[in-house]
Amino acid sequence: MEIKQTAIAGTLESSDIQIMLSKGQSGIQIDLESDVKKQFGDQINAVITETLKKFGIDHVKVKALDKGALDCVIKARTIAAAQRALKTADQPAWEVL
Amino acid sequence: MAETKERLRRTMMFVPGNNPAMVKDAGIYGADSIMFDLEDAVSMAEKDAARDLVYEALQTQDYGDAELVVRINGDDTPYYHNDIKAMVKAGIDVIRLPKTETADMIKTLEKDVLAAEKEFGRKEGATHLMAAIESAKGVLNAPAIAAASDRMIGIALSAEDYTTDMKTHRYPDGAELQFARNMVLHAARAAGIAAFDTVFTNMDDTEGFYRETNYIHQLGFDGKSLVNPRQIAMVNKVYEPTEKEVENAKNVINAIKEARMKGSGVISMNGQMVDRPVVLRAQRVMMLAKASHLVDEEGNYIEK
Amino acid sequence: MYESIVDLNLNDAKVRTKWQAFLKSLGIANFSDREVDKIDFTIGIYNGDELVATGSAAGNVLKYVGVCNKGVTTGSRFNAIVGELVNRLFQQQVFHIFVFTKKKYSESFQHIGFEQLGDTDVAAFLEMGGPNIHDYLNDLLKVPNQQYQQIGAVVMNANPFTLGHRYLVEKAAKENDFVYVFVVSANTSLFSADERLQLVREGLSDLDNVVVVAGGDYMVSYATFPAYFLPDNVTATDYQTALDARVFKIQIAPALHITTRYVGSEPLSKTTNQYNQALKRELPPDVQVVEVPRKQDQTGAVITATRVRKAIKAGDLSNIIESLPSSTYDFIKENLHELQARITKGMTIDGN
Repeated sequence: MEIKQTAIAGTLESSDIQIMLSKGQSGIQIDLESDVKKQFGDQINAVITETLKKFGIDHVKVKALDKGALDCVIKARTIAAAQRALKTADQPAWEVL
Repeated sequence: MAETKERLRRTMMFVPGNNPAMVKDAGIYGADSIMFDLEDAVSMAEKDAARDLVYEALQTQDYGDAELVVRINGDDTPYYHNDIKAMVKAGIDVIRLPKTETADMIKTLEKDVLAAEKEFGRKEGATHLMAAIESAKGVLNAPAIAAASDRMIGIALSAEDYTTDMKTHRYPDGAELQFARNMVLHAARAAGIAAFDTVFTNMDDTEGFYRETNYIHQLGFDGKSLVNPRQIAMVNKVYEPTEKEVENAKNVINAIKEARMKGSGVISMNGQMVDRPVVLRAQRVMMLAKASHLVDEEGNYIEK
Repeated sequence: MYESIVDLNLNDAKVRTKWQAFLKSLGIANFSDREVDKIDFTIGIYNGDELVATGSAAGNVLKYVGVCNKGVTTGSRFNAIVGELVNRLFQQQVFHIFVFTKKKYSESFQHIGFEQLGDTDVAAFLEMGGPNIHDYLNDLLKVPNQQYQQIGAVVMNANPFTLGHRYLVEKAAKENDFVYVFVVSANTSLFSADERLQLVREGLSDLDNVVVVAGGDYMVSYATFPAYFLPDNVTATDYQTALDARVFKIQIAPALHITTRYVGSEPLSKTTNQYNQALKRELPPDVQVVEVPRKQDQTGAVITATRVRKAIKAGDLSNIIESLPSSTYDFIKENLHELQARITKGMTIDGN
């Protein structure tokens, strides 16, 4: 499934991560910027990918700007971005939370 | 009244629901209650993101023994139902309803919470409720609101909106809040639930903060809502029992133990019968003393 | 302690005075109507009564971003302000955002997800969101083995398309294997962006090795460049033309293997002439600039779109029929009243 519109969630404040989703044709492509990319880049990408897959999104471009977010924050921001991109922010996906 | 056991609620720290740094660290300051705010601290465009963030944090973060509260958006907003569902599913301890004006609002909330408990398989009744009183109407209906549901654990005065409703604003001496504070407190005591005082926002006025906290402690409030972690220690200091209070309480506790060993149904001390309010107060003083690290687990005074 | 972001209403004299004073203290001094009137919304952070950070948005362009870092972690207020501006624009369904800024702030914007499109000694031009420049370039038509072909380019506003424009493109088409014609997309001309693009397409449809594309956001009509942050000794035109040339050189030309850019000589317009000079200064050696003398009509006058617009205003098309391809002429004839109405409503016909 593809997303319906570009969407963003999260801020650039410390401990947060900003996730931007835009339309893509070739799988889940993640462009991650993080000070801890070397140690935690794979883990961050895994959380984003897993969360998007739960929404059935398999073609999307992801721009992620990490400011030291915990996994639960990464997941929360990805969920918010995905729901906004699918235009379902007012109908939370209870099975994904 | 949802509870049978006394619980300390000296400090209820407000945490903006869309701020990961504060949500993540909320557990490290030792607040008795942590209140994640989905309402006033979150702009309309971020309501969804804040709800997601608090939900995920509740799944993974360790907040120790703190009672976890969420202030949801009011029933006149499009976020109300989703807030309830998400927080019930997350297993929150307490849902706080803002701008409560009638007992019916609490009864409706109770119904909505019960439906969510059923939907997500949470134990029915496990989600407690509290009401924030923020208007003249709310203050006048406080007794009915406090007694509106068995799930109620507390009632709080929220002074910013209340003073606006009263066509005044906050003053350093708090005279404008006298009636509301007493109403809310009496409503809480009559219903057997906790009473929370409003926030004090001027971070630079330490003296004013102590003055106000001493005052609401004297009135009998359980504690105070806070916006800054630095205020936690200050409130706890005010609520710290004196050595004499602790000694008295220990005597009562010892009398209870003795009565229990003797198998006697009647607790007596100095030839007088000790009745229930005295017992409860003694238990509360010992809890406060332990929380303030004045006594050890056995109740022995720790010399400093 | 967390600081809250508030709306600043610049229509309130007191707020505006405070806002200007704060930005002035940071070295931003240009508050001309041309810059300020385009602002859609402004936000700020107060510390007590003191304004300590602000930022604005005009359309999809961020403006007047200024931050004081005294007493806080460097970058935190900047991140908060820019993050909030971006979030609000996204809520308004604006997903593609630009910023023109002092060169020294480019890195700060890059740190929070902006990509630099080009820079000069004093200024930088960045974007975030999408579709971005890579998406734009990817979507353009390519020919097989483009990297081994001779590729030319022409950028035009074509307000409207004349035989003068066609003459320039014909020359490029003769001298190259393939030619891109970029039509400026800004909607500030008598003929709308769609109309201009359509007329260019129709007027060149017989040339097989020419593709006509919308310039999108990257062939910037320099009228829209903000210039409020420039130091006094740099003229807006200099920086705008230089920046535009750099974006072409750094982003557009390499991606499409363009090696020659064709421009019409400019005997009449000072600004356009300055632009040509900037291109000649900036593009070589990567991209050659070929300046083609203007085509003249049978009377010996150079063909210009300005003359065409004046004829439209006067309602007399007899003198311009020889200067236009039939497609453009027919369009003007059919829409003469509409075009005249636009002029009456205040659409300027001077300039380019």
